[in-house]
Amino acid sequence: MRFILPLFVICSLAFNAGEHTNPKPLRMPYKKAGLTEKEAALHLLNRLAFGPAPGQVEKVVSMGLDQWVMSQLNQSAAENELKEKLKRLDALQLSNEQIAGTYLNAVQAIRQLQQSGKLSKDSIPNTEDSAYRKKIQALMESSGLKPPRELNRQLFAQKMIRAIEAENQLSEILTDFWFNHFNVSITKNLAQPYVLTYERDAIRPNVLSNFETLLKATAQHPAMLLYLDNALSGSDNNPLQERARARMTKQNSNRRQNGLNENYARELLELHTLGVDAGYTQQDVQAVAKALSGWTVRPLKQENMAGLAKQVSRRQNLAVVENDFMFAAFRHDEGEKTILNKNYPANGGYAEGLAVIHQLATHPSTAQFICKKLASKFVADEPPANLVSEMSNTFMATSGNIKAVMTTMLNAPEFWEKKYVGSKTKSPFELTVSAVRITNARVMQPFQLYSWCEKMGQPLYGYNAPTGFPDKAAFWINSGSLLNRVNFGVALVENKITGIRVPDPEKNMGMLLGSPSFQNK
Amino acid sequence: MKRSAFLRSGALTVFAAGWGGLPGFVHAAATTQKIIPPYKRTKTLVCIFQRGAMDGLMAVSPYTDPNLKTLRPRLFMSPAQTEGGMFDLDGRFALHPSLAALMPLYKENRMTVVHGVGSPNNTRSHFDAQDFMESGMPHTKNSLSGWLNRALTLQGQPSTPFSGVSITKALPRSLQGEAQSLAISNLEEFILQNNNSGTTPFGSVSSFEELYKQSSNPLLKQSSKDGYEAVKLLDPQLVKQYKPAIGAVYPNSPLGKSLKQIAMLIKMEVGLEIGFAESGGWDTHINQGTINGAFARNLKDFGDSIAAFWTDLRGYQDDVSLMTMTEFGRTVHQNGTGGTDHGRASCLFVLDNTLQGGKVWHRMGGLSKDELEDGRDLPVTTDFRSVFSAAAAHRLQISDKEKLFPGWKGENIF
Repeated sequence: MRFILPLFVICSLAFNAGEHTNPKPLRMPYKKAGLTEKEAALHLLNRLAFGPAPGQVEKVVSMGLDQWVMSQLNQSAAENELKEKLKRLDALQLSNEQIAGTYLNAVQAIRQLQQSGKLSKDSIPNTEDSAYRKKIQALMESSGLKPPRELNRQLFAQKMIRAIEAENQLSEILTDFWFNHFNVSITKNLAQPYVLTYERDAIRPNVLSNFETLLKATAQHPAMLLYLDNALSGSDNNPLQERARARMTKQNSNRRQNGLNENYARELLELHTLGVDAGYTQQDVQAVAKALSGWTVRPLKQENMAGLAKQVSRRQNLAVVENDFMFAAFRHDEGEKTILNKNYPANGGYAEGLAVIHQLATHPSTAQFICKKLASKFVADEPPANLVSEMSNTFMATSGNIKAVMTTMLNAPEFWEKKYVGSKTKSPFELTVSAVRITNARVMQPFQLYSWCEKMGQPLYGYNAPTGFPDKAAFWINSGSLLNRVNFGVALVENKITGIRVPDPEKNMGMLLGSPSFQNK
Repeated sequence: MKRSAFLRSGALTVFAAGWGGLPGFVHAAATTQKIIPPYKRTKTLVCIFQRGAMDGLMAVSPYTDPNLKTLRPRLFMSPAQTEGGMFDLDGRFALHPSLAALMPLYKENRMTVVHGVGSPNNTRSHFDAQDFMESGMPHTKNSLSGWLNRALTLQGQPSTPFSGVSITKALPRSLQGEAQSLAISNLEEFILQNNNSGTTPFGSVSSFEELYKQSSNPLLKQSSKDGYEAVKLLDPQLVKQYKPAIGAVYPNSPLGKSLKQIAMLIKMEVGLEIGFAESGGWDTHINQGTINGAFARNLKDFGDSIAAFWTDLRGYQDDVSLMTMTEFGRTVHQNGTGGTDHGRASCLFVLDNTLQGGKVWHRMGGLSKDELEDGRDLPVTTDFRSVFSAAAAHRLQISDKEKLFPGWKGENIF
């Protein structure tokens, strides 16, 4: 059953900070830094892209460096070839609702098959028994149901294919960056089904837009709401709860699940916006949790949130639904709050949470924190303070225009300083993709590349903690991972990786890919 | 200094003498070298980091405190429950039933529980708290070394490529620093592909080992040196054939696999002094459960893995200590979603045959609101450093507490 809720139009669009300021023009001072055009082009391809394909340095030089960078910042390539290659991955177009109804683990599948009458209700689930497993598999197939790992495989495949093939390389670099910044993980079962659409709908369209837009999109996506538990966070401090409370205490109050959960609020402050040293307090964390109580996922599956659905349907007009996000008004804490010294009066409703997102997205500490992270991604693990503060100034002046911040970075002498060129360590993902690109390898089946990334220390989409991978040399390089990095290069060139084929590998290539300089970018 | 001199004089040779009954583990390459006796079996400290902040109040519950039941009605457990009840430890504390495998070790006085442990820094950020606990310097951000790495430099034994090993994908903060240490996610894959092409683009340099020796990047240079020295000593085929001692059944989980490999290294006598493993999934914000559920499942894996490890070490137990740790504990009260949020103190476990265990060591008070930190959390009554330092002193004979934990002036708890 899918029910439609009245949509509250939020009149105040004030929080949608737009891109009122155009980025300053590009003026990249690489010559001043002593780099030739070719050297500068290689540096750009290493940092704004996953390394050069054969001949690409020369191509960028002849196109003009500014021209190439502008096309990256504007994401102007049409990507027709890429789109063609992605067509066979049928899950990429699905909605959350379709995914929730298609990709089911064994327990969910058995329940669904029983409900639809395809499996006897009396049949006792025995997944240890291989005959039983086969029967369930067959029934799943004939009913169009698939196991979650098939969704994951498409998720991995599209990431690899895009990174290898896309012309808009910077978009892929930034999708990887922002996903990792706003990390969610397929290791959390509740969130797993929605990780694909999270990247597709919340991250990818916003990687070069406005930070607040990006932040809000992550905050309201089912993957994040479920990964950091905000979907379950609610409050009794709400006039609409009085009757519900009376009724529920009569029933089993122990089973009642209607209370605050601080998980998302804390990580929102610590990891997504202000940074851990910004001086917020435990009281701030609690107040943010209250301001965001009631922010949840609209029921995507009948059995999933049946209880909530009933409550909502009983109280029409009490929810705001935007795509798959739902603000459940009766679960929102309506008390007065103070967050980072700003007062939020009682009965703030949905707008209160949006105002908090705005306050956080435009806070100077956020500008500093985000710009430092961008600079350490693109310039150096420990970026120069001057550069970070210049980027933060742009961030503040443009209300978080990411393209403008990137432009400031590219115009800064620090980005081109010789001591930083070739000094960053590639993540296993970057190493893998850059090796495939430079060898012009044909990718028939990218799954083995995913396995190698995992071996080298980067299980894609699988970093359990909300911090995301610490993308620094000291995290990626250790004796064990280094052996695997060297082994990867050799295996690739010797065509020992199933599904990947290097045409006519040059003899020296294995040694080059395994060399110290190829570990860096 | 000691290490490099040692290695240059024939790194591989030293390991041969101590093989005992397991000569087959060491790669033939090592056996062809001259042997410099004597090489002794080492003492080993094994640490398990429970990432995500374990709820110490559920693992080892002060069940007699009436506040506990009031503050966490859905999460409260006690030995009085007839079905799946807790194990009473001392009339005040009780062990979660999922830790049944550890109960014999407690009864035989090999296991000690330390409760109310945590950091003097009251951060409730996972990342910061782990960082502080692993650096061992809870008031200093971005300190350079991890406490276990400092332990490696302070302990008196000659170092080997396997002195400090973490069976994890990344080298944990605890082991980062100057002393050589290894991160290996799977010993079976700890092998080297050679450059088989016969040609090299790097002039006379024809092996990766040589190539990395010449690298100007110190991290790459050192990691490769550590890796190549170690990789020559292990035969992955023999690693594959490893059979744990009779009765040692490791769960097929990341922690079980890590501890099995650490046991392997101890029994190979390759000089392991510090072993490190991780266990995840402790951040139980929702549906924590009691005798069943997410927490119970995870705790069972934890307890069963440790018990299997200890059984596997039969004959070596007297030379090994195992200590667990977690970045902080969880709120005394349950939250609105059947779980607990980030708190302050938790508990840890020490396994050691030569310590008088069989007790819950603590300085904990009660759980009434005015006894709690910020009115919500179990206060830290034992600084983690006073336990870590005691374990290092006992097992690795590190007496210089100030060097191990700069700036700390506390006392060891045993």
